[in-house]
Amino acid sequence: MLKRIWSLVIKEFIHLRSDWWLPAFMLIGGAMELLGVAWATSRPITNLPMMVFDQSQTAESRAIIIGLENTKTFRTPEQVNDMQTIQDAMDRGQISAALVIPPDYAGQLQSSTGKPTLLVILNGSESTPAQAANRAVRGLARDIDQRILIGRLGLSPDQFSGFNPSLRVWFNENLSEALYTTPAELGMMLEFTVLLFAALAFSRERELGTIEQLLVMPFSSLEIIVGKSIPVVIIGFADFLLMLGMVHFAFDVPIRGSFILLLVLAFGYLLVELGKGLVISVMSKTQHQAFLLVLLVGMVDFMFTGYAAPVESMPQVLQWFANIIPAHHWLTILRGIALKDAGLDVLWPNVLALAILGIVIGTFSLQFVRKALD
Amino acid sequence: MSLRHIWAVTRKEVNHIVRDRSTLILVLFTPTLVLLLMAYALTVDLKNIPVAVLDFDRSQTSQAFIQQITAGQDLDIYAYATSMDEINAMLMRGQIKAAVIIAPGFARDLQALKGIPLQVIIDGTEPESGNFAVEHIVQRAEEFIDDALTKQLRAQGIVIESLQPLDLRVQTWYNPDLKPRNALIPGLISMVLGFPALSVALTLAHEREHGTLEQLLATPITRAELLLGKIVPYIIVGLFNVIIIPLLSIAWFHISLNGSFLLFFGLSAIFMFSVLGMGMIVGVFMRTQAAALALSFLVLFFPGFFMTGIFFPLASMPEEARLEAMFLPGTHYALVTRGIFLPGVGMDVLWPYAVMMLGLGVVFMALAALFFRKKLA
Amino acid sequence: MPAIIETKNLIRDFKKTRAVDGLTLSIESGELFGLVGPDGAGKTTTLRLLAGLLDISEGDAAVLGFDLKEKAESIKPHIGYMAQQFSLYSELSVMENLQFFAELFDVESKDMAERTERLLTFAGLTEFKKRRAMNLSGGMQKKLALACTLIHEPQILLLDEPTTGVDPISRREFWNILTELHLRGTTIIVSTPYMDEADRCSRVGLMYAGKLVECDTPKNIREKLEGDVIEIQAGDWQKALETVSALGGVREAQTYGESIHLLVDSGERRLPEIERVLKKENLAYRSIRIAPARMEEAFISLIRKLEA
Repeated sequence: MLKRIWSLVIKEFIHLRSDWWLPAFMLIGGAMELLGVAWATSRPITNLPMMVFDQSQTAESRAIIIGLENTKTFRTPEQVNDMQTIQDAMDRGQISAALVIPPDYAGQLQSSTGKPTLLVILNGSESTPAQAANRAVRGLARDIDQRILIGRLGLSPDQFSGFNPSLRVWFNENLSEALYTTPAELGMMLEFTVLLFAALAFSRERELGTIEQLLVMPFSSLEIIVGKSIPVVIIGFADFLLMLGMVHFAFDVPIRGSFILLLVLAFGYLLVELGKGLVISVMSKTQHQAFLLVLLVGMVDFMFTGYAAPVESMPQVLQWFANIIPAHHWLTILRGIALKDAGLDVLWPNVLALAILGIVIGTFSLQFVRKALD
Repeated sequence: MSLRHIWAVTRKEVNHIVRDRSTLILVLFTPTLVLLLMAYALTVDLKNIPVAVLDFDRSQTSQAFIQQITAGQDLDIYAYATSMDEINAMLMRGQIKAAVIIAPGFARDLQALKGIPLQVIIDGTEPESGNFAVEHIVQRAEEFIDDALTKQLRAQGIVIESLQPLDLRVQTWYNPDLKPRNALIPGLISMVLGFPALSVALTLAHEREHGTLEQLLATPITRAELLLGKIVPYIIVGLFNVIIIPLLSIAWFHISLNGSFLLFFGLSAIFMFSVLGMGMIVGVFMRTQAAALALSFLVLFFPGFFMTGIFFPLASMPEEARLEAMFLPGTHYALVTRGIFLPGVGMDVLWPYAVMMLGLGVVFMALAALFFRKKLA
Repeated sequence: MPAIIETKNLIRDFKKTRAVDGLTLSIESGELFGLVGPDGAGKTTTLRLLAGLLDISEGDAAVLGFDLKEKAESIKPHIGYMAQQFSLYSELSVMENLQFFAELFDVESKDMAERTERLLTFAGLTEFKKRRAMNLSGGMQKKLALACTLIHEPQILLLDEPTTGVDPISRREFWNILTELHLRGTTIIVSTPYMDEADRCSRVGLMYAGKLVECDTPKNIREKLEGDVIEIQAGDWQKALETVSALGGVREAQTYGESIHLLVDSGERRLPEIERVLKKENLAYRSIRIAPARMEEAFISLIRKLEA
């Protein structure tokens, strides 16, 4: 039986060789893409465009502008002379925020009973930059508040240096954005790669009519399934290693936990996605259909990897649903092992969930595919 | 350019799609389905973030402080820890996203107006929850300190009106509550409307794989006619989604389309032409559908998702990446949807994007026609 | 009159092989030209080159006066090409396929209805016009493909093994159609593995390993055959075959059902010898005679000579 499976695997690889675009894209293209995407988007939010309408034009107002620049959240703010410009720029989405400094700012600031005001306008049509801008501006406002207070109360900075929270960040001391986003990006690309590859396994032969040839050969359906799966698993695993290596060396994403454990669990995860892909591949009459199903399933799964939003913040229904999404558990495992040095003692619920899902999906897909082939 | 030829190809393609029921449904409804799901899931109003508290001071003050911090919906106290080890473990297991550690001399330091040391630890692997927790804690803590300070100063006979002398007024335009969903949905719309391009990439390879290309090439049809005829059905699919998605978004998510729907429709048609042109040029090079799929995922799907400024702002990308993003029709269309939905701007603002998309579309189709040779090999 | 199709030293290379190797051919308007040869001889490639579907590697070719290197597209309205594999749209109906190609060939709308009806009748497909192409039998699919190449009434037809895999009745009907077209003046190049079809052509070209090794009328080719054919109808044909194959002067022995065809150097000389041997071995036979040479024998013997 092993020999027959082996001959099937050889046949698949020969086939792949003539259509070498496919694995090439998946492997190299995928890794390069991850590199590119991570390079472009795994960054802190900086360089946001902003406008300032400085009606005060004093040293104090200029100090604010310098303060804004120093936050790094904003690029050098553009100075404008009227609200209309700001309105237009906001409408066009050209700026994330605008600051209006009233004419009496310096005076109010210096007077001991003055109430200086500032108007900040945030562009709500893009929430991520708006939130970042909000944070930066409020931070600046706090500083100004404290300086005013210290001045008015005649306190010396040592007497009341204000409120000093010290912030410690665990698992990600440098607050490197890459550590937040690249695991999810990696997860998404890996899932799509494996799903796509597996989904094409049978749908392609079905569409082109070569599946009859396959079925009249003296292979049992199990042998056929295994024979088709091996290339997918090999390529998927190679893809994983390649991408992991890439983020590790290019973005210093660490692997603090057990590397072996990570590999083993990665392999397990691949098998689960393989199962899903095979079901899709047998359900589909054409490659087009298979691909559309992969798109749908992949996008649904991706939501639960935590890239765009943490799962805890989702409606309760969806949080429950997340538990049957293999990718969700896999991302927790990936982040856990890579970033937190977590071991089985911590991750066992996820591993268990993955194992259960694997068994369920695996058995179902095996039955389903066998029945379809017979 | 013979319209008759283009129409013949379009009719054939439509028949082809329509006769495969399941594929038809998938092609027609995938954009909408994905959008609805994502909008539903990603309406992230952060709340109920689990935190732990480690109080070394255990004074009335520190207890009041903890109350203040955790009042309301945003943070939930998962546990009162008794040691750093416990905090370690809880963070490890992902049971808490942040921890607040109150040093032993808290009440005393507060009294003496000294700098108040407060440690907040966050799980660095989860940016959103962590940052949110920190901001919330910091804000509440400041209020607390301010109160205490004001009382203190009054006791000393110093009267201060407010500890926040600076009156910072924040207006959020277009989206007063800064609900992420309202900002995200237009971006998501622009992303899902790019899906038909993936199907377009398949179509030439489909003819090759099934052998029908041979007879087709033996006819007088020109390359441009063939390619145009093939994208028209998918423009229709796209426009179908352009109609139902806003309807559903407005009905279900209550977001508002403040601009003109007609304008949105027209610009969407231009986008469809543009992004499908991109799909076509990807498809021209590949001999098999599988390869076309793989390439289109790399060139159309992932960039369309990550690099068009929907999730990560263009301004914060490195210069080169931003430049590359300009060549993606999705980048411009995302700006169109953003402008039309919330700010509700008109053609006077959006015309540059329309021009860019049209230009890109023409270039893509022209390149596709150029690279596609009417030869079998 | 200049030839309607003219090639000079036409060469087409693929990655590792030279599929067409210096083909020089000249076809007159109105000819019914048969292209024969073993698998891989280059027939399909030649037809594809002439249809403008492949680039020419070296050499020249002109169809209807148009140089295929520069103006391949110009010939398309005037030719009808039928691919060897079924190349129509399986999920479209007979009628839809026909209409599709009619539109692409710019058949005038006023002529459409009449022509499609006529072609459907011609091809015997009228009652199947709503059926999807994938649900047609092999023979009907070929006929549909032929109809689609005729919809614009082209001057030249290039048909790649149009009757392969088709039942004998359909095959005959097919050839009736071709004969009629020939009579009307259409120039036809048809490649075929069937020797009896080659016999019906005005001229036959034999391709081998990319070269044109013979190009003449069927009659001349048959007469070029060196030797004679002796036909034996024997009882125990297996034993008879064994016995006579080994005899001197017998170049080849083929069985056709139960009759044996021997290619001998001289019929006059060998026939009595063979008869003697058969009688000696007590092998019963119903008849033995010198049979007229057929394309089949001519062809096989030519190939054998080339392979040697």
